[in-house]
Amino acid sequence: MDQISRILRNDEMTAGYRRLVFLAPDIAKSALPGQFVHVQIPGLRDRILRRPFSISSADPAAGTVTVIFKVVGLGTTELAKAEPGVECAVLGPLGNGYKPVPGSVPVLIAGGYGSASTLFLAERSEKPGLVLMGARTGHDLILRDEYQALGFRLLAATNDGSFGRKGFVTDLLEEALGSVPSPAVYACGPRPMLFALGRLLEGRGIPAQLSLDQHMCCGVGACFACVVKLKDADSPDGFRYSRSCKEGPVYPAEEVYCRE
Amino acid sequence: MNDLDLQVKLGPLTLKNPVMTASGTFGYGEEYNEFYPISELGAVVVKGIAPWPSHGNPTPRTAEVVSGMINAIGLQGPGIDKFLHGEHYMPFLRKTGATVIVNIWGRTPDDYALVAERLEAEKDGVAALEINVSCPNVKEGGLSFGTNVDSMQRVIRAVRAKTSLPLITKLSPNVSRIADFARGAQDAGSDMISLINTIPAMAIDIYTRRPKLANVTGGLSGPAVKPVAIKLVYEAAKAVSIPVIGMGGIMSGEDAVEFLLAGASAVAVGTATFADPAAPLRVLNGIRAFLERTGVRSVSDLIGQVQI
Repeated sequence: MDQISRILRNDEMTAGYRRLVFLAPDIAKSALPGQFVHVQIPGLRDRILRRPFSISSADPAAGTVTVIFKVVGLGTTELAKAEPGVECAVLGPLGNGYKPVPGSVPVLIAGGYGSASTLFLAERSEKPGLVLMGARTGHDLILRDEYQALGFRLLAATNDGSFGRKGFVTDLLEEALGSVPSPAVYACGPRPMLFALGRLLEGRGIPAQLSLDQHMCCGVGACFACVVKLKDADSPDGFRYSRSCKEGPVYPAEEVYCRE
Repeated sequence: MNDLDLQVKLGPLTLKNPVMTASGTFGYGEEYNEFYPISELGAVVVKGIAPWPSHGNPTPRTAEVVSGMINAIGLQGPGIDKFLHGEHYMPFLRKTGATVIVNIWGRTPDDYALVAERLEAEKDGVAALEINVSCPNVKEGGLSFGTNVDSMQRVIRAVRAKTSLPLITKLSPNVSRIADFARGAQDAGSDMISLINTIPAMAIDIYTRRPKLANVTGGLSGPAVKPVAIKLVYEAAKAVSIPVIGMGGIMSGEDAVEFLLAGASAVAVGTATFADPAAPLRVLNGIRAFLERTGVRSVSDLIGQVQI
């Protein structure tokens, strides 16, 4: 589960976004879409915690695991500098992933670099479907070509209107759902987007799964840092905290308590 | 060299080796038992148990800082009923054969006594209780008992009256004279003391100008606190005749040896486990390697041996 892994490639995809390929045969063998790895960042001084990354692709034959990340802080800044050949401890695959709904058409909904998580599901889907992508600008709409190469039809929205419709990815939902028979929704992105989506889908009878998390420490369910709220009729407050690293990060949408 | 003696005697409790886990950093043992048999550790100290289930604090609950982290988890937990009879927790721990120490907390001395009474009644597999009077992240109970000797003693006596299990009192570093609390715990009937709990701390996001934790403040742990912990363990150990369990930023066998020399009879590994699930075992192996390297046969030959 905790595997010393060699970095094979660490390439910039577009400014600020990178694709990292690890040689990690044991993880590659069992990784499923929606799961994540917890990475000890090589060269990160004075910081001891690992960083979690969604698995974007896994190739059991080649023994490789791919993650796609945005450079946002100290950890990812250091990771961006890691040269191929460098080794680091990688814990995984962790968490519960997406559970494909048989006989349905996948409708993937990705906010920002949440598309890194749903890409693995697209790769493993029996048949292609739709991908709805939203981001701040067209520049941040990463992985469009990858989805289209897998046969997925792309609908996009950007906050500034620089690509696709101007607005939020949730604005594309009704059009998307109306265009396919028996859709099943799988979504990953910022919490406000997922909560909006959860509320829009409430009571519609459309199977939907949301990938959500919080600041993570241990990644294996021991520290209770990364909890998210799930509905709980037995609790006087109507919710309970669930460890997103262990019970999640993917949850049935109807179980998620969609407000802060 | 096979004749190394790792066993340590903590008053009424004997451990096969001096490495324990720090409460709150090891869940209820189940997660890490997937990495290695947790029974290999000296003891497993589980996350705090109260009379009732509790949500804990809002998120974000943690923030990473230089050489450590600040947490305000707020003692999320299943409560004593579920702990004793749920499918995880104690029924699971009994099956592992691990030496289990149950950390307990409440809002009043009666709450602590109630949890102790329940554990006394079903103590199969419970090696000791650790009384948490030092959590900085709950509004009532926790630290409010640990920063006043009288309040702390009321809690210890209430627990002592309900159980014959060995008692550990976990002390806060957030006091002006640790010796008073160490002695106070001993006088009230605690069989051991453990320290340190986290140090109250805060971090601010300079761009949003908001605290990094939803709870605003939290407790600092990790290598950053180790020198503070060493000093407090040293002072506490000098003040009492009961055994001391030392913790605070232990990352390696060398760190653990430093605590033993300062006066600890055992150590607990906490935040290091978040970085490396195998950290407690690595620390144990590091102690073993240190003994071999320096020709010391027994862990107990190190305890309190700092030369002043």
